[in-house]
Amino acid sequence: MPISSTAHTRKVATYCYQCVAGPDLLKVKVEDGVATAIEPNFDAVGVHPADGRVCVKAFGLVQKTYNPSRVLAPMKRTNPKKGRNEDPGFVAISWDEALDLIAERLRGIRETGLLDASGYPRVAASFGGGGTPTAYMGTFPAFLGAWGPVDMSFGSGQGVKCYHSEHLYGELWHRAFIVCPDTPRTRYLVSFGSNIEASGGVCGISRHAAARVEQGIKRVQIEPHLSITGGCSAEWVPIKPKTDVAFMHAMIHVMLFENDRSRLDIPFLKRMTASPYLVAPNGLYLRDPATRKPLVWDLVQAAALPFDAPGIDPALDGEFIASGVEVLADGDLTEHRDARVKTAFGKLLEHERELTPEWAEGICDVPAATIRRIANEYLDHAQIGATIEIEGRTLPFRPVAITLGKTVNNGWGGYDCCWARTLMACLVGALDVPGGTIGTAVRLNRPANDRQSSAKPGPDGFMDYPFNPTDKENWIGRPQIRNANRTLVPLVANSAWSAALGPTHLAWMQQRHGFENFPEPTQPDVWFFYRTNPVISFWDTPRVEEVVAKFPFVVAFAYTHDETNHFADVLLPDCTDLESLQLLRIGGTKYVEQFWDHQGFALRQPATEPQGEARDFTWIATELARRAGILEGYNNAINRGAAGVALKGEHYDFRLDTAQVHDVETIWNASCRAASAELTKGEEDHGLDWWREHGFRTIGYPRLQWYLYPHLEDQGLRFEMPYQERIFRIGQELGRRLHESGIAWWDRQLTEYRPLPEFHDFSNLIKHAVISNLGGRAEDFPFWLLTARSMQYAWGGNVSLQMIREVADNIKGHRGVIMNTAAATRLGIEDGDLVEVRSPLRETRGRVVLRQGIRPDTLLMVGQFDHWITPYARNFEVPSMNALVPMLMDLTDATGSAGDIVPVSIIRIGGAR
Amino acid sequence: MTRYAMVVDLRRCVGCQTCTAACKHTNATAPGVQWRWVLDLEAGTFPDVSRTFVPVGCQHCDEPPCEAACPTTATKKRADGLVTIDYDLCIGCAYCSVACPYYARYKVTTSRPAYADEPMAHEHKRADPGMIGVATKCTFCSDRIDYGHAHGLTPGVDPDATPACANACIASALTFGDIDDPESKPSHLLRDNQHFRMHEELGTGPGFYYLWEKAR
Repeated sequence: MPISSTAHTRKVATYCYQCVAGPDLLKVKVEDGVATAIEPNFDAVGVHPADGRVCVKAFGLVQKTYNPSRVLAPMKRTNPKKGRNEDPGFVAISWDEALDLIAERLRGIRETGLLDASGYPRVAASFGGGGTPTAYMGTFPAFLGAWGPVDMSFGSGQGVKCYHSEHLYGELWHRAFIVCPDTPRTRYLVSFGSNIEASGGVCGISRHAAARVEQGIKRVQIEPHLSITGGCSAEWVPIKPKTDVAFMHAMIHVMLFENDRSRLDIPFLKRMTASPYLVAPNGLYLRDPATRKPLVWDLVQAAALPFDAPGIDPALDGEFIASGVEVLADGDLTEHRDARVKTAFGKLLEHERELTPEWAEGICDVPAATIRRIANEYLDHAQIGATIEIEGRTLPFRPVAITLGKTVNNGWGGYDCCWARTLMACLVGALDVPGGTIGTAVRLNRPANDRQSSAKPGPDGFMDYPFNPTDKENWIGRPQIRNANRTLVPLVANSAWSAALGPTHLAWMQQRHGFENFPEPTQPDVWFFYRTNPVISFWDTPRVEEVVAKFPFVVAFAYTHDETNHFADVLLPDCTDLESLQLLRIGGTKYVEQFWDHQGFALRQPATEPQGEARDFTWIATELARRAGILEGYNNAINRGAAGVALKGEHYDFRLDTAQVHDVETIWNASCRAASAELTKGEEDHGLDWWREHGFRTIGYPRLQWYLYPHLEDQGLRFEMPYQERIFRIGQELGRRLHESGIAWWDRQLTEYRPLPEFHDFSNLIKHAVISNLGGRAEDFPFWLLTARSMQYAWGGNVSLQMIREVADNIKGHRGVIMNTAAATRLGIEDGDLVEVRSPLRETRGRVVLRQGIRPDTLLMVGQFDHWITPYARNFEVPSMNALVPMLMDLTDATGSAGDIVPVSIIRIGGAR
Repeated sequence: MTRYAMVVDLRRCVGCQTCTAACKHTNATAPGVQWRWVLDLEAGTFPDVSRTFVPVGCQHCDEPPCEAACPTTATKKRADGLVTIDYDLCIGCAYCSVACPYYARYKVTTSRPAYADEPMAHEHKRADPGMIGVATKCTFCSDRIDYGHAHGLTPGVDPDATPACANACIASALTFGDIDDPESKPSHLLRDNQHFRMHEELGTGPGFYYLWEKAR
């Protein structure tokens, strides 16, 4: 009987949120208490954007549960020496002993002070997976909230492995922590290295597949290698690595100088952007002396008037004689009388005039004719003036979009590429409108679950933005955490996500050598980490390893033994995905491409009994809170919503007694009742049993909420494009503050604060930075080494699963380093040969996989392997680029990120097996 | 009449191997055995290169070479188009594996857990000694189809009566159904699109169609 439930067989509804493209819904088939198979949850057809399906990673969860290599009892280290070659001597201990060991440290910290002599939190924590561990850590956020300051500085991929510039600038410009196309409506998509078929999850893949076949979208993939997405695109353009911004500048040039201005969306530029704002001689806006509002040149009255004056028709372009004031850094004022000024759009024209396709051809190794054609195809598809009705409201319809991939939108050039992409959307009125380039979620602005509400009126007709202060009185000169995020990066704001979005490698770098005129780089007294393996998944990973080995007390929530918990003092085996209980908010719009017509909650529930001594994370969090003496604060945090839903709302009150220890089911039963009541304004209060049976509960989510444009239009706001006056001023202020403090080591980063991004050949810049810091000759490193996401592995923590290994092997690149066939032939390298790939930092070895779909000057290492202790994975012998990329200040951009790219050489050192 | 077939839209497939994994779960195949899998193919020379993902497996042929090669009549062609193997009749001679031009058949001679020697709980639960030492391959999830017929469900429409790979496909690249029914979804897809079958020149009549372009 393969299908129906029997007395011995049942189906358990749950969710998968192993990667940021989720959450998705599924069912687990359970036979006699044993989880045997994963299936789609077809109860969610019409609710979940991919109709209840999950990707290959979720099918690994059964093996993940029964993997014989799991850590199945709490363990403590018996060998005080820490090192790769030191046996930790882990021995099994009771939960009581493990928790007491940790609690003793925690109580000691509370007695001596939560901050150390440098002002840094004594407790630190690192979580991986773009925030997804919170979907598995139960009430641990309540523990952290009750604790007080916790340093989440120590990155485990953030910055170098994420869409860093997009996160920060995307939120500034259109509340877009992640940017994506309005895939179901767009018709032309230019993708600069966005490998959406590997990183977009179930929803991304299903939307793009439908777009290709049903809408007839044309997608052009611009990328040095023929990725999964390149293979699924109409056209592949093999661009030289890290030169994307030259391509984009040339596209902008074609739109501005080779086409009639009527092909742009002039009303959008005038009304929805700052294009008409007048720029004064010092590069800041010319403002009305009385109101300080930016001035525009009104074509009706032939006079400079405030941008929001009624009845005006602002000039888009031109040079004018006007008077006003300019607000300089730190509020200094300068007055201008009859000054010669240009509009921001005019400044843009000046900026782009020389950046032709012929100019770009020499930089990015793409024919000028190709760049020109793609720019014109973008215009051809833009449908300027078209409208579409969404839920009864008429909105602009602009079915063209541009997306950026990792390495394009982080590190040097990230600002430039994000700016160029957003600008090109504005030129045709395609920013956050149906069919265009839109945002998915906010993480730095608040409220976190509603990007529209986060778009509040700010200065100069723009949305407000929670910049960290740069004025003399309020600048946070003494870092609050070890990566100094709020001190160095005004854009990183101050949300729960801001620590992870800071320059997270600085926390690691400072452990090796402090920075001049910065606090003493202390170690955390206690470091927790969960679902992350920074000793493998970062840049210059051997350096991370050295630092971790010196941390005094490390607590790992451990699935198997791995490269980071090899240095732990205590291992805590939490229940895995199919063993534990948690309620999660679903729906709305979420990154990467989750756009729902519904919103609500889903339950993750045990499909099978915990293996060994594994315990539910909520139980662990409660016990830690109790033993550390913060139970009341912990319960209060849960009541306030730290577990995902506030237990008291307008129509309900299911708060827990803050003095009591509550078991796991009591806590989630209260959350379930609160969630039901929140969704139904108090009409329902279904408890845990109901949610166990049904799995999820949703209500409608308006499709108008998918777009920011109507919200801005209603508030009379405009997008902060093309001119970055605020960025320019803030950069000047930040420079003053740093220099006043004697800090000059951030000067290179300050150069990024330009009102219009100044072009650099970032390919050369990166190569020069690496060579000049580490030595060697540029000609000795003629290849660029890149990486690409493995859909089967990314974020899954599943390298020890045999089934994942087996099926991933069907996709090229999971066994070695991908190299162009002709380039290999020139070096006498054949398919399967053992090679050494060397950067100026160090070398690695692997087998060569020859392909035609990669540039002759580029090598590709898929995923992040290089494991040396993780069971099963330690035998892969697959190379990773992570050990080859140096952690350098010169590679760090102003947002605190760097690109996953390094110059290398390759030589044959052995034949095929 | 009924002719069940699989229609694969090559424009949709992204090679994610979700179908591969779903098949392994549903049919509890041994490590290394993939009744359904997806090829990662490249054609052309840099810079004019294409990359295509091609789901493969038993093609459930009209004239299955494996059936002709089978000395025990273990391999049979059903009236609804499915090619089946009766494990009780199969002697494991593997003639069929040699005869199959699609490399679709597997034979596992010993129980092979994913890790070391001990099966995990789910492997132990799903272990089927009848699949050891015999030829195995994609069944189009015949047990699900038969279950569907017995319960008034339509294969290719109702998930409980549809092959697991088609159910799981996140790109909707795999569509299963009766191509003798002109109103079935696969019939519509075949009418609306240009398609081919693998090694059609061999005269095997594969029940696996690959769409690649809209019909002109």
